[in-house]
Amino acid sequence: MNVNDVIRTIMQCRPDAILVSSLGTATSSVRLVTSDGPHFYFGAAMGSALAGALGLAEAVPDRQVVAVLGDGEFLMGASALWSVAAYRPSNLTVVVLADGAYSITGGQPIPAPLHVAAVANALAGTRGVTVSSTTELAATLRSEPTSPDAPGTPLVIEATISERTWPGPSPFIDPAATVRNLRASLAQAPAPA
Amino acid sequence: MTTATKPPTPSPSVPVGLDWQLAIAQELIARGVSVAAYIPDSRLNGVLAALGERDIRLRNLAREEECVAYAAGQRIAEARPVVLMQSSGLGNALNALGSLAVPYRLGIPLIISMRGTLGEKNPSQVPMGRATTAWLGALGIQSFSLRQASEVGPVISGVLDLAFDAGETAAVLLEPELGGGRA
Repeated sequence: MNVNDVIRTIMQCRPDAILVSSLGTATSSVRLVTSDGPHFYFGAAMGSALAGALGLAEAVPDRQVVAVLGDGEFLMGASALWSVAAYRPSNLTVVVLADGAYSITGGQPIPAPLHVAAVANALAGTRGVTVSSTTELAATLRSEPTSPDAPGTPLVIEATISERTWPGPSPFIDPAATVRNLRASLAQAPAPA
Repeated sequence: MTTATKPPTPSPSVPVGLDWQLAIAQELIARGVSVAAYIPDSRLNGVLAALGERDIRLRNLAREEECVAYAAGQRIAEARPVVLMQSSGLGNALNALGSLAVPYRLGIPLIISMRGTLGEKNPSQVPMGRATTAWLGALGIQSFSLRQASEVGPVISGVLDLAFDAGETAAVLLEPELGGGRA
């Protein structure tokens, strides 16, 4: 499974979701797979994307928000997982792309495995699951309730990336375009049935 | 801009003599702030308590950079957050400010309780307090000192104008002269 497989599967299972992508392969792949769709692309601020997703999820409670984070990114802002566990928005799903490396800076290895799914299970407010294929990822996403009234225990999916390739275009996005496009999309989106 | 000299309505949660904390909360509420992302500080307690009494959502996050990023997520959806922290934690927030709030022009209002300045007794707090205005200025973030309760209305309202209308992240510095300092 490579990063593009993960993003394509997310978009197949949650076509209306807003993605929050961290700098690196996540932002590159979301750009490619969604054709620069209206998502919250991080072009820097490593370690901040999960907290950004928490803020966005709470601002748009009737929309699904999926944070797509590199494992290096996750580690830099790991404390945000405790914040997610504290406030538990029911519309937030977290996907960590676990390839064991800092892809954006040249693929240097991450010294210690994250075991992020196990950590999420150890916290009272989050649940963790590890997936290693698109079949498992799709089954996991499809089994999750997406109603705004669903119980708030956000799912943290540790997606094992076995095929490391650079996924798509540059992650050095235009911040102004990111803000403009997402705001326009939110303004137009009809209320869900 | 509001001209606030009207005394704030008393609150059971705000100690006598710290009416400025209540006045800040009332100005934030009047301007439609809907959520406060913060790291605790004793001088923010009254502000947060008064916000909570009015059912403003309170989010005590783990690090100052989380507060900035949380607010960025709110602002990109055009909600109205405020970030509150102590100046000693500003260093933790610099990357999120410089790499997210400023280049994305998300306009986040910051309320920073000052340490390391007049009356500071802890030597380890002094360097960051001394550098607070310079750190912010180096990122192009304007900061405005609040020293008297009578200035709460125009200063808070003005910073919210800068953030929510002009798209400029801007800071209010709660200076020691306001009171409520540490023993």
